[in-house]
Amino acid sequence: MAIEQSKIERWEKELSKCIRCGTCRQFCPIHQVLDDESYTARGKLYLVDQFIHGDFLLSDGFVEMIGKCVMCKGCTANCPSGVNTYQIFMEMREEIVKERGLSFTKQSIFRALHWRKFFDFGLSCGALFQRLIFKPAPDGHGQVARVPLPMAGFNQRRIIPNLPRKSLKKIVPLESKARGTERYRVGFFTGCMINYAYPQIGQDLIHVLNHNGVTVLTPKEQHCCATPLFTSGEKEIASDLIHKNLEIFAKLDIDYIVTACSSGGLAWKEEFAKVLGEDHPDYPLALELGKKTKDISEFLVMIGIDTDGLQPLQQKITYHDSCHLNRGQKIKQQPRQLLQSIPESTFIEMEKADGCCGSGGSFNLKYYELSRDINRQKTAHISDTGADVVAVGCPACLMHIKDGLAQDGIQAETKHVVELLAESYGFHQNRKGE
Amino acid sequence: MSSYPDVTAALAELRAAVGEKYVHTAVEKRMVYSFDSTFQNHLPDVVVKPHTVEEAAAVVKIASRYQIPLTVRGAGTCLSGGPVALQGGILMEMTAFKRIIEVNADEQYAVVEPGVVTNELIAAAAKKGLFYPPDPSSSGMSTLGGNVAECAGGGRGVKYGVTRDYVLELELILPDGEIITVGNKVDGLTGWLDLPMLFTGSEGTLAILTRMTVRLLPKPEAIRTALAQYDELDAAARTVSAIISAGVVPTTIEIMDQMTIRAVENFLQIGLDTSKAAFVLLEVDGDGWEVEQQLEQVIAICKENGAVEIQVAHNEAERAALWKARKSISGACGKINPTKIGEDIAVPPGNIPKMIQAVKEIAEKYNLNMVVFGHAGDGNLHPNIMTDKRNTEEMERVNQAIDELFARALELGGTLSGEHGIGFMKAPYLLQELGRDGYLAQKAVKDSLDPAGFLNPGKIFIEKELEVTHG
Ligand SMILES: Cc1cc2nc3c(=O)[nH]c(=O)nc-3n(C[C@H](O)[C@H](O)[C@H](O)COP(=O)(O)OP(=O)(O)OC[C@H]3O[C@@H](n4cnc5c(N)ncnc54)[C@H](O)[C@@H]3O)c2cc1C
Ligand code: SF4
Ligand code: SF4
Repeated sequence: MAIEQSKIERWEKELSKCIRCGTCRQFCPIHQVLDDESYTARGKLYLVDQFIHGDFLLSDGFVEMIGKCVMCKGCTANCPSGVNTYQIFMEMREEIVKERGLSFTKQSIFRALHWRKFFDFGLSCGALFQRLIFKPAPDGHGQVARVPLPMAGFNQRRIIPNLPRKSLKKIVPLESKARGTERYRVGFFTGCMINYAYPQIGQDLIHVLNHNGVTVLTPKEQHCCATPLFTSGEKEIASDLIHKNLEIFAKLDIDYIVTACSSGGLAWKEEFAKVLGEDHPDYPLALELGKKTKDISEFLVMIGIDTDGLQPLQQKITYHDSCHLNRGQKIKQQPRQLLQSIPESTFIEMEKADGCCGSGGSFNLKYYELSRDINRQKTAHISDTGADVVAVGCPACLMHIKDGLAQDGIQAETKHVVELLAESYGFHQNRKGE
Repeated sequence: MSSYPDVTAALAELRAAVGEKYVHTAVEKRMVYSFDSTFQNHLPDVVVKPHTVEEAAAVVKIASRYQIPLTVRGAGTCLSGGPVALQGGILMEMTAFKRIIEVNADEQYAVVEPGVVTNELIAAAAKKGLFYPPDPSSSGMSTLGGNVAECAGGGRGVKYGVTRDYVLELELILPDGEIITVGNKVDGLTGWLDLPMLFTGSEGTLAILTRMTVRLLPKPEAIRTALAQYDELDAAARTVSAIISAGVVPTTIEIMDQMTIRAVENFLQIGLDTSKAAFVLLEVDGDGWEVEQQLEQVIAICKENGAVEIQVAHNEAERAALWKARKSISGACGKINPTKIGEDIAVPPGNIPKMIQAVKEIAEKYNLNMVVFGHAGDGNLHPNIMTDKRNTEEMERVNQAIDELFARALELGGTLSGEHGIGFMKAPYLLQELGRDGYLAQKAVKDSLDPAGFLNPGKIFIEKELEVTHG
């Protein structure tokens, strides 16, 4: 297979920075569970190096090594030589797709993502039929599969959220006006998880922003952020989705773009431009909108929130750092600051708060058991704190941690930071029974 | 052991010994296990991973019976090629031995398996108010088995010594597959020869470690940190020698030259003064007033020897700030040139100024980018060459420079491996250091324990090759 010469040169430069120190061993959640050099960045970089020099062909084992990675940036952020492992793995995945195509599971998921209309339809049908396929989980939250659905990557044991009948974009109006004087206007990029699985997080976000003088625009035509695509190496469809998203948000009269999804935020801030590449006509727009994008915690701390309106919540709260928020966007302190502003709650740090939860986006669909093994370390640390609630800044982590806590029989609830704020502002009074 | 039978004959037995799942022959698996933290690669024929002593002993017996080279690996962070299967054969990964069996606070020792990561023991000891001092910079990933096999040292070496000073008892598999225990949990000494000492630092050439008892110390009450800056490198080097000869025992004395300071500042932009010729980072620990007294003494010596500025940390955050430069060296150097070749030498502390001078001369002579830093307190220096492994012409000069570095270290009464072991990277220089008779004495020990020479062949003992090159 021919890899572009310019790519080879860029990779070579990056690969020659690797001093093989093995620091990445200690930061790789996959290595921690599997205890196998094959899954460390060090091991894989060596194979990539041999591969681009033609000394080694794309074997099934190698493809599996590249695939068994949650793209958590643990290696990238901690590499003392600054090797951009994340970028190399992503581009390596592109090469694999070029040569082998996507796996069938992924293909069908991604087609659905691309044809948003179809996906909308697919999932609302899913909500109707879910009762046939899933049964409620023992504690009444979410459900477990009645039959294994290997094609969808759903394991019989996994707990997925009750899919709501309507997606967020169907519930909320295009424009939700600020209460009082309008301080800012923002576009809300929902991301698929919030749109389809956790619309209440989106509603809470809008409430909290409106309360703090921010008008929120939620364009209905917005698409998936394409992260599951470009992290799987499917660059072409990804570029298409990115183009559409940029076009849609560029048209809005807004000061900022706000997200409550860690990967979505990272995608807007950095990956869109990277995936498109400097030569793409949308590249400058991607950079421009990327600069305007803020994670919700980052945004709230930046504008300053009404803390007087927060009501007491007598809860012990701990916080999980999502990889794509913490290492991806360097957002660590803001969510903690927001949580600590909730009166009468107690904030407790868990051990290894920044350790990956094992979700890895679509990774956990393919390697469910492995992602559970990684997750078990997380749930143990949560349990050690004795917290009532574990707050997160990412719906994908939220789903995975919720699943893990239920499987491990740990009582703590899992909530998005913005849900806790909404609760403290008293927005949940009339949302009983959900 | 340059030729040996095909391993395929032994595969079925290996699978029976450790389980099918833990025997790998696929090329990509062998490739990722073909190197350590050096730039040498050799493919093993098969990678196996035992989980119990019995399984490991069975592997040793199979290797011994078929006369297949057997190389043991911990985390593969060695800097001298130790866990590289130089002659192919079986690579045995020991990371599944990961239990901390006991941390005994009353008797102050810990019993651990060799796959435990160094930092995990340090943390487990700290939970009981105890302290395991040998902390190589790789302590986040290196295994204790690798630490004992390499006799690893670390930043606290000046005051607390190296791994050897903490080994009490070892359970080992000998090359014939027998399992023995040497030393004891009290003082480490049994009988006549100091056997734990013999096996510590033997780099997987004499036996396989399967369980270790190590000494722990009470955790010191307080730590104080200071950073001294100099206008002349020589003044910094003199300070180091002066502190040692004054009898103060800091836990850390780290030296950084100007090139290192500049690299770190370029990388981090934390406001380091790049006009300075050198930094010395000092740390003292102990109880109450004693620490303060030591700190004063150390500061006085720095001033006497020409320090132009001294900062003292007053809290944990300030301490972290002072350490920041030191901890960022590796990464920073990566920015100068992609490939960093780290060397490791040690000279008597009094000769540190001369050795640093020698490094500068060598860098100039071969026209290479070199930085010098190291735990200078116990004479350890890490001259690092920044190069690009893709540049073959420069790599040639790099090799010549390394030869000369070692030669100068030996002239100054030093040794080859401050702490990174001999492996095969430095084996060619061992004869120079030990002299023929000293070398043969070591070789006699190896021959009597492993007469066939199948344990980690090609490491340390390579006299056949040497005879060829040295006439
Ligand atoms: C960034 C970096 C910093 C470092 N800093 C230091 C430092 O400050 N001080 C220092 O001393 N070293 C340092 N090292 C070198 C290295 O980390 C140490 O030598 C460490 O002890 C190796 O441990 P390991 O588990 O990686 O062993 P490996 O590299 O896997 O093996 C090392 C040797 O031990 C043998 N071995 C491993 N396990 C066993 C066993 N169970 N039984 C018998 N033999 C065994 C192997 O055969 C091999 O010869 C550093 C390395 C790196 C990459
Ligand atoms: S931490 Fe970075 S330099 Fe070290 S082995 Fe991993 S990728 Fe290579
Ligand atoms: S991105 Fe995360 S999972 Fe992937 S190799 Fe790096 S540390 Fe491991």
